[in-house]
Amino acid sequence: MMRFSTLLKHPADWMIGADSDSAVVLTSRIRLARNISETPFPGWARKSERIDILSGLLPAIEGLPEMKDAFSHQLSELTSVQKQVLVERHLISREQAARSEGSATVVNRAQTLSVMINEEDHLRLQSIRSGLHLQEAYDLITSVDEQLEKDLLYAFDHELGYLTACPTNLGTGLRASAMLHLPGLVISDHIGQVIQGIGKLGLAVRGIFGEGTESLGHLFQISNQSTLGESEQKIISRLERVIRKVRDHERNARLKLIEDDPQMIADKIARAYGLLKYAYVIDSKEALTHLSLIRLGSDMGCFPKEETLQLCDSLLMDIEPAHLQHHAKRKLTPEERDILRAKIIRSRLQNLPSPVISFL
Amino acid sequence: MQCDHCDSKATVFFTQIIGGSSKKSCLCEKCACENGVTDPEGFVSDDEELSSISEQAASAVEVPQPPMAAIQTAPKDPSSHLCPDCGFAFDDLKKTGRLGCSQCYQFFREEIKLNLEGMHKDTCHVGRVPAGMMEAFQNRQKIEKLEQEKAEAIAAEDYEKAGALHEKIEKLSAGLPTDGASISTDS
Repeated sequence: MMRFSTLLKHPADWMIGADSDSAVVLTSRIRLARNISETPFPGWARKSERIDILSGLLPAIEGLPEMKDAFSHQLSELTSVQKQVLVERHLISREQAARSEGSATVVNRAQTLSVMINEEDHLRLQSIRSGLHLQEAYDLITSVDEQLEKDLLYAFDHELGYLTACPTNLGTGLRASAMLHLPGLVISDHIGQVIQGIGKLGLAVRGIFGEGTESLGHLFQISNQSTLGESEQKIISRLERVIRKVRDHERNARLKLIEDDPQMIADKIARAYGLLKYAYVIDSKEALTHLSLIRLGSDMGCFPKEETLQLCDSLLMDIEPAHLQHHAKRKLTPEERDILRAKIIRSRLQNLPSPVISFL
Repeated sequence: MQCDHCDSKATVFFTQIIGGSSKKSCLCEKCACENGVTDPEGFVSDDEELSSISEQAASAVEVPQPPMAAIQTAPKDPSSHLCPDCGFAFDDLKKTGRLGCSQCYQFFREEIKLNLEGMHKDTCHVGRVPAGMMEAFQNRQKIEKLEQEKAEAIAAEDYEKAGALHEKIEKLSAGLPTDGASISTDS
Protein backbone atom coordinates (compact mmCIF):
# COMPACT_ATOMS: atom_id res chain seq x y z
CA MET A 1 0.00 0.00 0.00
CA MET A 2 1.14 3.52 -0.75
CA ARG A 3 2.40 5.44 2.28
CA PHE A 4 1.48 9.01 3.16
CA SER A 5 5.07 10.16 2.71
CA THR A 6 5.21 8.58 -0.77
CA LEU A 7 1.99 10.31 -1.72
CA LEU A 8 3.43 13.62 -0.59
CA LYS A 9 6.79 13.22 -2.28
CA HIS A 10 5.29 12.57 -5.69
CA PRO A 11 2.68 15.17 -6.49
CA ALA A 12 0.39 14.35 -9.40
CA ASP A 13 1.06 15.89 -12.82
CA TRP A 14 -2.08 17.98 -12.43
CA MET A 15 -0.82 19.48 -9.18
CA ILE A 16 2.29 20.96 -10.76
CA GLY A 17 0.83 22.24 -14.01
CA ALA A 18 2.50 19.66 -16.25
CA ASP A 19 -0.01 20.26 -19.01
CA SER A 20 1.35 22.77 -21.51
CA ASP A 21 -2.07 24.33 -21.84
CA SER A 22 -2.54 25.11 -18.16
CA ALA A 23 -1.69 28.82 -18.23
CA VAL A 24 -5.38 29.67 -17.74
CA VAL A 25 -7.15 26.38 -16.96
CA LEU A 26 -5.13 24.64 -14.26
CA THR A 27 -7.22 21.53 -13.69
CA SER A 28 -10.40 19.72 -14.71
CA ARG A 29 -12.31 17.62 -12.22
CA ILE A 30 -15.26 15.25 -12.39
CA ARG A 31 -17.06 13.95 -9.32
CA LEU A 32 -19.83 11.36 -9.13
CA ALA A 33 -22.03 10.84 -6.06
CA ARG A 34 -23.29 7.29 -5.55
CA ASN A 35 -25.16 5.56 -2.77
CA ILE A 36 -26.00 2.02 -1.83
CA SER A 37 -29.66 1.13 -1.96
CA GLU A 38 -31.69 0.76 1.24
CA THR A 39 -28.89 1.83 3.53
CA PRO A 40 -28.97 5.06 5.52
CA PHE A 41 -26.85 7.88 4.11
CA PRO A 42 -23.59 8.46 6.04
CA GLY A 43 -24.86 11.61 7.76
CA TRP A 44 -27.89 9.80 9.17
CA ALA A 45 -26.40 6.34 9.73
CA ARG A 46 -25.25 5.39 13.19
CA LYS A 47 -21.54 4.84 13.74
CA SER A 48 -21.92 1.05 13.70
CA GLU A 49 -23.87 1.26 10.45
CA ARG A 50 -21.22 3.49 8.88
CA ILE A 51 -18.51 1.04 9.87
CA ASP A 52 -20.54 -1.79 8.29
CA ILE A 53 -21.04 0.19 5.08
CA LEU A 54 -17.34 1.00 4.94
CA SER A 55 -16.27 -2.60 5.42
CA GLY A 56 -18.59 -3.59 2.58
CA LEU A 57 -17.35 -0.90 0.20
CA LEU A 58 -13.63 -0.79 0.90
CA PRO A 59 -12.75 -4.17 -0.71
CA ALA A 60 -14.72 -3.20 -3.85
CA ILE A 61 -12.76 0.05 -4.18
CA GLU A 62 -9.37 -1.39 -3.29
CA GLY A 63 -10.02 -4.25 -5.72
CA LEU A 64 -10.31 -1.94 -8.73
CA PRO A 65 -7.40 -2.41 -11.15
CA GLU A 66 -7.01 1.40 -11.17
CA MET A 67 -6.39 1.24 -7.43
CA LYS A 68 -3.43 -1.15 -7.52
CA ASP A 69 -1.00 -0.20 -4.71
CA ALA A 70 -3.22 2.75 -3.86
CA PHE A 71 -3.11 5.07 -0.89
CA SER A 72 -5.95 3.75 1.25
CA HIS A 73 -6.65 4.97 4.75
CA GLN A 74 -9.49 5.31 7.16
CA LEU A 75 -9.88 8.89 8.30
CA SER A 76 -9.46 7.72 11.90
CA GLU A 77 -5.90 6.60 11.08
CA LEU A 78 -4.81 10.02 9.86
CA THR A 79 -3.64 12.96 11.98
CA SER A 80 -5.43 16.26 11.60
CA VAL A 81 -2.43 17.73 9.75
CA GLN A 82 -2.39 14.78 7.32
CA LYS A 83 -6.12 15.21 6.67
CA GLN A 84 -5.63 18.92 6.07
CA VAL A 85 -2.76 18.20 3.66
CA LEU A 86 -5.11 15.96 1.64
CA VAL A 87 -7.68 18.78 1.58
CA GLU A 88 -5.06 21.26 0.40
CA ARG A 89 -4.22 18.81 -2.38
CA HIS A 90 -7.91 18.55 -3.31
CA LEU A 91 -7.82 14.79 -2.74
CA ILE A 92 -10.48 14.85 -0.02
CA SER A 93 -13.09 17.44 0.89
CA ARG A 94 -13.20 19.60 4.00
CA GLU A 95 -16.34 17.72 4.95
CA GLN A 96 -14.55 14.39 4.88
CA ALA A 97 -11.59 15.77 6.82
CA ALA A 98 -14.02 16.45 9.68
CA ARG A 99 -14.91 12.76 9.84
CA SER A 100 -13.05 9.96 11.55
CA GLU A 101 -14.36 6.47 12.20
CA GLY A 102 -16.34 4.77 9.44
CA SER A 103 -14.95 6.94 6.67
CA ALA A 104 -12.06 6.23 4.33
CA THR A 105 -10.24 7.61 1.34
CA VAL A 106 -8.57 5.70 -1.47
CA VAL A 107 -6.27 7.49 -3.92
CA ASN A 108 -4.57 5.86 -6.90
CA ARG A 109 -0.77 6.09 -7.27
CA ALA A 110 -0.91 8.76 -9.97
CA GLN A 111 -3.33 10.75 -7.75
CA THR A 112 -5.67 11.23 -10.68
CA LEU A 113 -8.45 9.19 -9.10
CA SER A 114 -9.74 9.38 -5.57
CA VAL A 115 -12.66 7.73 -3.86
CA MET A 116 -14.15 9.06 -0.65
CA ILE A 117 -16.17 6.50 1.27
CA ASN A 118 -18.86 7.79 3.63
CA GLU A 119 -18.43 11.46 3.04
CA GLU A 120 -21.83 13.09 2.41
CA ASP A 121 -22.73 10.12 0.21
CA HIS A 122 -21.58 6.51 0.49
CA LEU A 123 -19.30 7.01 -2.49
CA ARG A 124 -17.78 10.08 -4.02
CA LEU A 125 -15.70 9.16 -7.07
CA GLN A 126 -13.39 11.88 -8.26
CA SER A 127 -11.01 12.21 -11.18
CA ILE A 128 -8.66 15.15 -11.82
CA ARG A 129 -6.64 16.10 -14.90
CA SER A 130 -4.42 19.06 -15.61
CA GLY A 131 -5.54 21.56 -18.23
CA LEU A 132 -9.00 21.54 -19.78
CA HIS A 133 -9.70 17.82 -20.09
CA LEU A 134 -13.12 17.21 -18.60
CA GLN A 135 -13.99 14.45 -21.04
CA GLU A 136 -10.86 12.43 -20.19
CA ALA A 137 -11.61 12.79 -16.51
CA TYR A 138 -15.19 11.68 -17.14
CA ASP A 139 -14.09 8.64 -19.14
CA LEU A 140 -11.85 7.44 -16.32
CA ILE A 141 -14.52 7.92 -13.68
CA THR A 142 -17.18 6.20 -15.82
CA SER A 143 -15.05 3.12 -16.31
CA VAL A 144 -14.65 2.93 -12.53
CA ASP A 145 -18.39 3.48 -12.03
CA GLU A 146 -19.22 0.71 -14.52
CA GLN A 147 -16.99 -1.74 -12.71
CA LEU A 148 -18.49 -0.86 -9.34
CA GLU A 149 -22.12 -1.10 -10.44
CA LYS A 150 -21.57 -4.77 -11.29
CA ASP A 151 -21.02 -5.58 -7.63
CA LEU A 152 -22.87 -2.83 -5.81
CA LEU A 153 -26.58 -2.15 -5.85
CA TYR A 154 -26.79 1.59 -6.35
CA ALA A 155 -29.75 3.60 -5.14
CA PHE A 156 -31.42 4.64 -8.38
CA ASP A 157 -34.87 5.89 -9.25
CA HIS A 158 -36.44 5.98 -12.70
CA GLU A 159 -37.54 9.56 -12.20
CA LEU A 160 -34.90 11.09 -9.94
CA GLY A 161 -31.86 9.16 -11.22
CA TYR A 162 -29.05 8.38 -8.81
CA LEU A 163 -30.31 9.11 -5.31
CA THR A 164 -28.07 11.27 -3.16
CA ALA A 165 -28.10 12.49 0.44
CA CYS A 166 -28.64 16.05 -0.74
CA PRO A 167 -31.32 16.67 -3.40
CA THR A 168 -28.97 19.17 -5.09
CA ASN A 169 -26.96 16.19 -6.44
CA LEU A 170 -29.86 14.05 -7.72
CA GLY A 171 -30.00 12.70 -11.26
CA THR A 172 -26.53 12.21 -12.67
CA GLY A 173 -24.80 12.89 -9.35
CA LEU A 174 -22.21 14.59 -11.50
CA ARG A 175 -20.27 17.70 -10.64
CA ALA A 176 -17.84 18.83 -13.31
CA SER A 177 -15.51 21.68 -12.51
CA ALA A 178 -12.41 23.44 -13.68
CA MET A 179 -9.94 25.66 -11.85
CA LEU A 180 -9.10 28.82 -13.73
CA HIS A 181 -6.43 31.45 -13.19
CA LEU A 182 -7.97 34.80 -14.12
CA PRO A 183 -5.61 37.64 -13.12
CA GLY A 184 -6.22 39.47 -16.40
CA LEU A 185 -9.95 39.72 -15.76
CA VAL A 186 -9.43 40.67 -12.11
CA ILE A 187 -6.84 43.40 -12.81
CA SER A 188 -8.85 44.87 -15.70
CA ASP A 189 -11.93 44.76 -13.44
CA HIS A 190 -14.03 42.62 -15.78
CA ILE A 191 -14.30 39.66 -13.43
CA GLY A 192 -17.63 40.81 -11.96
CA GLN A 193 -19.32 40.82 -15.34
CA VAL A 194 -17.90 37.41 -16.21
CA ILE A 195 -19.03 35.89 -12.90
CA GLN A 196 -22.49 37.34 -13.39
CA GLY A 197 -22.68 35.99 -16.91
CA ILE A 198 -21.64 32.52 -15.78
CA GLY A 199 -24.25 32.65 -13.02
CA LYS A 200 -26.98 33.44 -15.53
CA LEU A 201 -26.08 30.25 -17.40
CA GLY A 202 -26.84 28.25 -14.27
CA LEU A 203 -23.20 27.55 -13.48
CA ALA A 204 -21.41 28.32 -10.23
CA VAL A 205 -18.19 30.26 -9.63
CA ARG A 206 -16.33 29.73 -6.38
CA GLY A 207 -12.96 30.19 -4.72
CA ILE A 208 -10.34 27.44 -4.89
CA PHE A 209 -11.54 25.33 -1.99
CA GLY A 210 -15.11 25.07 -3.18
CA GLU A 211 -18.32 26.19 -1.60
CA GLY A 212 -18.10 29.23 0.65
CA THR A 213 -14.43 29.96 0.06
CA GLU A 214 -13.17 33.29 -1.22
CA SER A 215 -11.06 33.62 -4.28
CA LEU A 216 -7.35 33.77 -3.51
CA GLY A 217 -4.54 34.15 -5.98
CA HIS A 218 -7.02 35.05 -8.75
CA LEU A 219 -8.09 31.41 -8.83
CA PHE A 220 -11.69 30.51 -9.58
CA GLN A 221 -13.59 27.27 -9.81
CA ILE A 222 -16.42 27.00 -12.33
CA SER A 223 -18.85 24.10 -12.06
CA ASN A 224 -22.33 22.94 -13.01
CA GLN A 225 -25.11 23.50 -10.47
CA SER A 226 -27.88 21.39 -11.92
CA THR A 227 -27.41 17.63 -11.95
CA LEU A 228 -30.94 16.51 -12.84
CA GLY A 229 -32.67 16.72 -16.20
CA GLU A 230 -29.55 16.97 -18.33
CA SER A 231 -27.33 14.10 -19.45
CA GLU A 232 -23.70 13.79 -18.35
CA GLN A 233 -22.48 14.57 -21.85
CA LYS A 234 -24.62 17.67 -22.07
CA ILE A 235 -23.49 18.94 -18.69
CA ILE A 236 -19.86 18.45 -19.64
CA SER A 237 -20.06 19.94 -23.11
CA ARG A 238 -22.03 22.95 -21.88
CA LEU A 239 -19.53 23.59 -19.09
CA GLU A 240 -16.60 23.10 -21.43
CA ARG A 241 -18.03 25.63 -23.88
CA VAL A 242 -18.37 28.22 -21.12
CA ILE A 243 -14.88 27.53 -19.80
CA ARG A 244 -13.40 27.97 -23.28
CA LYS A 245 -15.20 31.31 -23.52
CA VAL A 246 -13.90 32.46 -20.14
CA ARG A 247 -10.42 31.31 -21.16
CA ASP A 248 -10.64 33.40 -24.32
CA HIS A 249 -11.85 36.40 -22.31
CA GLU A 250 -8.90 35.99 -19.97
CA ARG A 251 -6.46 35.77 -22.87
CA ASN A 252 -7.92 38.90 -24.43
CA ALA A 253 -7.79 40.70 -21.09
CA ARG A 254 -4.08 39.84 -20.78
CA LEU A 255 -3.34 41.13 -24.28
CA LYS A 256 -5.32 44.28 -23.61
CA LEU A 257 -3.44 44.95 -20.36
CA ILE A 258 -0.14 44.79 -22.25
CA GLU A 259 -1.52 47.06 -24.93
CA ASP A 260 -3.25 49.62 -22.71
CA ASP A 261 -1.04 49.85 -19.66
CA PRO A 262 2.25 48.00 -20.11
CA GLN A 263 4.02 50.06 -17.39
CA MET A 264 1.43 49.15 -14.78
CA ILE A 265 1.51 45.42 -15.55
CA ALA A 266 5.32 45.33 -15.77
CA ASP A 267 5.49 47.08 -12.42
CA LYS A 268 3.11 44.60 -10.80
CA ILE A 269 5.02 41.57 -12.08
CA ALA A 270 8.45 42.92 -11.20
CA ARG A 271 7.34 44.02 -7.73
CA ALA A 272 5.81 40.61 -7.08
CA TYR A 273 9.12 39.04 -8.05
CA GLY A 274 11.08 41.33 -5.75
CA LEU A 275 8.68 40.88 -2.87
CA LEU A 276 8.58 37.09 -3.00
CA LYS A 277 12.31 36.82 -3.53
CA TYR A 278 13.24 38.99 -0.55
CA ALA A 279 10.39 38.64 1.97
CA TYR A 280 11.11 37.15 5.40
CA VAL A 281 7.53 37.11 6.69
CA ILE A 282 4.57 36.54 4.37
CA ASP A 283 1.00 35.44 4.98
CA SER A 284 -0.90 33.09 2.73
CA LYS A 285 -3.04 35.72 1.04
CA GLU A 286 -0.11 37.99 0.16
CA ALA A 287 1.93 35.05 -1.10
CA LEU A 288 -0.89 33.76 -3.31
CA THR A 289 -1.55 37.21 -4.77
CA HIS A 290 2.08 37.66 -5.76
CA LEU A 291 2.55 34.11 -6.98
CA SER A 292 -0.44 34.76 -9.20
CA LEU A 293 1.42 37.70 -10.76
CA ILE A 294 4.54 35.57 -11.33
CA ARG A 295 2.29 33.01 -12.99
CA LEU A 296 0.81 35.75 -15.16
CA GLY A 297 4.31 37.02 -15.95
CA SER A 298 5.42 33.60 -17.12
CA ASP A 299 2.54 33.59 -19.62
CA MET A 300 3.54 37.10 -20.79
CA GLY A 301 7.08 35.99 -21.53
CA CYS A 302 8.73 37.55 -18.47
CA PHE A 303 9.97 34.20 -17.12
CA PRO A 304 10.74 30.82 -18.69
CA LYS A 305 7.15 29.66 -19.16
CA GLU A 306 6.85 25.93 -18.48
CA GLU A 307 9.13 25.70 -15.49
CA THR A 308 7.75 28.85 -13.89
CA LEU A 309 4.17 27.60 -14.18
CA GLN A 310 5.25 24.37 -12.51
CA LEU A 311 7.15 26.29 -9.84
CA CYS A 312 4.11 28.45 -9.06
CA ASP A 313 1.64 25.57 -9.00
CA SER A 314 3.70 23.42 -6.66
CA LEU A 315 4.29 26.44 -4.42
CA LEU A 316 0.54 27.12 -4.30
CA MET A 317 0.21 23.83 -2.42
CA ASP A 318 3.43 23.81 -0.46
CA ILE A 319 2.81 27.13 1.27
CA GLU A 320 -0.62 26.15 2.58
CA PRO A 321 -0.82 25.88 6.40
CA ALA A 322 -0.95 22.08 6.70
CA HIS A 323 1.77 21.54 4.11
CA LEU A 324 4.01 23.90 6.10
CA GLN A 325 3.32 22.06 9.35
CA HIS A 326 3.94 18.75 7.68
CA HIS A 327 7.23 20.14 6.37
CA ALA A 328 8.20 21.41 9.84
CA LYS A 329 7.02 18.12 11.42
CA ARG A 330 5.28 20.07 14.18
CA LYS A 331 2.41 22.42 14.84
CA LEU A 332 3.23 26.01 13.90
CA THR A 333 1.69 29.25 15.07
CA PRO A 334 0.43 31.54 12.29
CA GLU A 335 3.51 33.77 12.82
CA GLU A 336 5.86 30.80 12.51
CA ARG A 337 4.05 29.72 9.37
CA ASP A 338 4.53 33.15 7.79
CA ILE A 339 8.26 32.91 8.43
CA LEU A 340 8.60 29.38 7.08
CA ARG A 341 6.42 30.26 4.08
CA ALA A 342 8.72 33.16 3.17
CA LYS A 343 11.78 30.95 3.59
CA ILE A 344 10.43 28.23 1.29
CA ILE A 345 9.44 30.78 -1.36
CA ARG A 346 12.86 32.46 -1.21
CA SER A 347 14.65 29.19 -1.69
CA ARG A 348 12.43 28.06 -4.57
CA LEU A 349 12.79 31.39 -6.34
CA GLN A 350 16.54 31.43 -5.95
CA ASN A 351 17.15 30.26 -9.50
CA LEU A 352 14.33 32.19 -11.11
CA PRO A 353 15.95 34.90 -13.29
CA SER A 354 14.71 38.47 -12.89
CA PRO A 355 11.79 39.32 -15.16
CA VAL A 356 12.45 40.20 -18.79
CA ILE A 357 9.89 42.80 -19.81
CA SER A 358 9.84 42.51 -23.58
CA PHE A 359 6.52 44.23 -24.15
CA LEU A 360 7.67 47.70 -23.10
CA MET B 1 -33.92 -0.97 10.57
CA GLN B 2 -33.17 -2.90 13.74
CA CYS B 3 -34.17 -2.01 17.28
CA ASP B 4 -31.32 -0.57 19.38
CA HIS B 5 -32.08 -3.02 22.20
CA CYS B 6 -33.09 -6.29 20.55
CA ASP B 7 -33.18 -7.91 17.11
CA SER B 8 -36.76 -6.98 16.27
CA LYS B 9 -37.70 -4.51 13.58
CA ALA B 10 -37.69 -0.94 14.86
CA THR B 11 -40.98 0.87 14.45
CA VAL B 12 -40.57 3.72 16.93
CA PHE B 13 -38.05 6.42 16.10
CA PHE B 14 -37.23 8.91 18.75
CA THR B 15 -34.86 11.88 18.45
CA GLN B 16 -33.93 13.66 21.64
CA ILE B 17 -32.24 17.04 21.55
CA ILE B 18 -30.78 18.17 24.84
CA GLY B 19 -28.54 21.22 24.96
CA GLY B 20 -26.58 21.16 21.76
CA SER B 21 -26.51 17.42 21.12
CA SER B 22 -29.09 15.18 19.55
CA LYS B 23 -29.49 11.47 20.12
CA LYS B 24 -31.41 9.18 17.84
CA SER B 25 -33.08 6.01 19.11
CA CYS B 26 -34.66 3.31 17.02
CA LEU B 27 -36.87 0.97 19.03
CA CYS B 28 -39.31 -1.84 18.52
CA GLU B 29 -42.77 -1.50 20.06
CA LYS B 30 -41.91 -3.67 23.05
CA CYS B 31 -38.61 -1.95 23.94
CA ALA B 32 -40.23 1.43 23.38
CA CYS B 33 -42.84 0.63 26.02
CA GLU B 34 -40.21 -0.72 28.39
CA ASN B 35 -38.15 2.43 27.99
CA GLY B 36 -41.06 4.70 28.68
CA VAL B 37 -41.57 5.86 25.11
CA THR B 38 -45.21 4.91 25.29
CA ASP B 39 -46.83 7.75 23.47
CA PRO B 40 -44.86 8.71 20.40
CA GLU B 41 -47.26 11.58 19.75
CA GLY B 42 -46.28 13.00 23.12
CA PHE B 43 -42.78 13.64 21.93
CA VAL B 44 -43.69 15.42 18.76
CA SER B 45 -44.66 18.58 20.46
CA ASP B 46 -45.44 21.98 19.12
CA ASP B 47 -44.35 23.35 22.45
CA GLU B 48 -42.49 26.54 21.66
CA GLU B 49 -39.75 26.03 24.16
CA LEU B 50 -38.93 22.62 22.79
CA SER B 51 -38.81 23.74 19.20
CA SER B 52 -36.65 26.72 20.06
CA ILE B 53 -34.20 24.40 21.80
CA SER B 54 -34.04 22.12 18.81
CA GLU B 55 -33.52 25.11 16.56
CA GLN B 56 -30.65 26.28 18.69
CA ALA B 57 -29.22 22.80 18.51
CA ALA B 58 -29.54 22.84 14.77
CA SER B 59 -27.84 26.17 14.40
CA ALA B 60 -25.02 25.02 16.68
CA VAL B 61 -24.21 22.17 14.31
CA GLU B 62 -22.08 23.46 11.53
CA VAL B 63 -23.38 22.34 8.17
CA PRO B 64 -20.48 22.61 5.74
CA GLN B 65 -22.68 22.83 2.69
CA PRO B 66 -25.35 25.49 3.00
CA PRO B 67 -28.66 23.72 2.61
CA MET B 68 -31.18 24.84 0.06
CA ALA B 69 -32.35 28.27 1.06
CA ALA B 70 -36.03 27.63 1.36
CA ILE B 71 -37.41 24.15 1.39
CA GLN B 72 -41.12 24.08 0.96
CA THR B 73 -43.03 21.57 2.96
CA ALA B 74 -46.45 20.29 2.22
CA PRO B 75 -48.72 21.05 5.17
CA LYS B 76 -49.12 17.65 6.74
CA ASP B 77 -49.27 16.23 10.19
CA PRO B 78 -45.60 16.30 11.25
CA SER B 79 -45.87 13.17 13.36
CA SER B 80 -46.69 11.11 10.27
CA HIS B 81 -43.75 12.66 8.48
CA LEU B 82 -41.08 10.16 9.32
CA CYS B 83 -39.49 7.83 6.79
CA PRO B 84 -40.71 4.37 7.83
CA ASP B 85 -37.41 2.88 6.67
CA CYS B 86 -34.90 5.03 8.51
CA GLY B 87 -36.93 7.28 10.81
CA PHE B 88 -35.75 10.51 9.22
CA ALA B 89 -38.11 13.44 9.78
CA PHE B 90 -38.80 15.33 6.57
CA ASP B 91 -38.71 18.64 8.41
CA ASP B 92 -35.03 18.04 9.20
CA LEU B 93 -34.22 18.44 5.52
CA LYS B 94 -34.62 22.18 6.08
CA LYS B 95 -31.97 22.12 8.79
CA THR B 96 -29.44 19.75 7.31
CA GLY B 97 -30.12 19.93 3.58
CA ARG B 98 -29.90 16.14 3.51
CA LEU B 99 -32.18 13.14 3.66
CA GLY B 100 -31.84 9.98 5.73
CA CYS B 101 -31.76 7.19 3.15
CA SER B 102 -32.63 6.45 -0.47
CA GLN B 103 -36.12 5.27 0.58
CA CYS B 104 -36.85 8.78 1.90
CA TYR B 105 -37.25 9.75 -1.76
CA GLN B 106 -40.12 7.25 -2.05
CA PHE B 107 -41.94 8.51 1.01
CA PHE B 108 -41.37 12.22 0.55
CA ARG B 109 -41.37 12.16 -3.26
CA GLU B 110 -44.05 14.80 -3.79
CA GLU B 111 -42.64 17.22 -1.21
CA ILE B 112 -39.14 16.83 -2.62
CA LYS B 113 -40.34 17.35 -6.17
CA LEU B 114 -41.82 20.69 -5.12
CA ASN B 115 -38.31 21.89 -4.40
CA LEU B 116 -36.51 20.53 -7.43
CA GLU B 117 -37.66 23.02 -10.01
CA GLY B 118 -35.56 25.97 -8.94
CA MET B 119 -32.66 23.68 -8.18
CA HIS B 120 -32.26 21.70 -11.39
CA LYS B 121 -32.72 21.97 -15.15
CA ASP B 122 -35.63 19.58 -15.03
CA THR B 123 -37.30 17.23 -12.60
CA CYS B 124 -36.82 14.01 -14.53
CA HIS B 125 -33.55 12.13 -14.90
CA VAL B 126 -31.77 12.03 -18.24
CA GLY B 127 -28.46 10.24 -18.58
CA ARG B 128 -26.69 7.17 -17.30
CA VAL B 129 -28.62 4.30 -15.79
CA PRO B 130 -26.92 1.49 -13.85
CA ALA B 131 -26.43 -1.67 -15.93
CA GLY B 132 -29.35 -4.04 -15.55
CA MET B 133 -31.82 -1.24 -14.89
CA MET B 134 -31.68 0.12 -18.43
CA GLU B 135 -34.47 -1.94 -19.96
CA ALA B 136 -36.92 -1.22 -17.19
CA PHE B 137 -35.93 2.44 -17.30
CA GLN B 138 -36.62 2.74 -21.02
CA ASN B 139 -39.87 0.82 -20.69
CA ARG B 140 -40.98 3.18 -17.98
CA GLN B 141 -40.24 6.16 -20.16
CA LYS B 142 -42.15 4.65 -23.11
CA ILE B 143 -45.14 4.01 -20.88
CA GLU B 144 -45.10 7.57 -19.61
CA LYS B 145 -45.06 8.85 -23.19
CA LEU B 146 -47.94 6.56 -24.20
CA GLU B 147 -49.95 7.60 -21.13
CA GLN B 148 -49.60 11.18 -22.23
CA GLU B 149 -50.69 10.35 -25.77
CA LYS B 150 -53.62 8.42 -24.35
CA ALA B 151 -54.71 11.38 -22.26
CA GLU B 152 -54.49 13.59 -25.33
CA ALA B 153 -56.55 11.10 -27.36
CA ILE B 154 -59.20 11.01 -24.66
CA ALA B 155 -59.28 14.80 -24.52
CA ALA B 156 -59.78 14.81 -28.29
CA GLU B 157 -62.49 12.16 -27.86
CA ASP B 158 -60.55 9.77 -30.10
CA TYR B 159 -61.52 6.71 -28.06
CA GLU B 160 -60.39 4.21 -30.66
CA LYS B 161 -56.85 5.56 -30.49
CA ALA B 162 -57.04 5.76 -26.71
CA GLY B 163 -58.08 2.11 -26.57
CA ALA B 164 -55.20 1.02 -28.78
CA LEU B 165 -52.76 3.00 -26.67
CA HIS B 166 -54.22 1.48 -23.53
CA GLU B 167 -53.50 -2.00 -24.86
CA LYS B 168 -49.92 -1.05 -25.68
CA ILE B 169 -49.43 0.31 -22.18
CA GLU B 170 -50.84 -2.87 -20.65
CA LYS B 171 -48.39 -4.97 -22.66
CA LEU B 172 -45.40 -2.87 -21.70
CA SER B 173 -46.46 -2.79 -18.06
CA ALA B 174 -46.59 -6.59 -17.97
CA GLY B 175 -42.84 -6.65 -18.47
CA LEU B 176 -42.19 -4.42 -15.49
CA PRO B 177 -41.67 -5.36 -11.86
CA THR B 178 -45.01 -5.58 -10.05
CA ASP B 179 -44.35 -2.58 -7.86
CA GLY B 180 -45.96 0.17 -9.84
CA ALA B 181 -44.34 3.04 -8.00
CA SER B 182 -40.73 2.55 -8.80
CA ILE B 183 -38.03 0.28 -10.07
CA SER B 184 -35.55 2.20 -8.07
CA THR B 185 -34.00 0.42 -5.22
CA ASP B 186 -35.65 -2.97 -5.17
CA SER B 187 -34.56 -6.26 -6.73
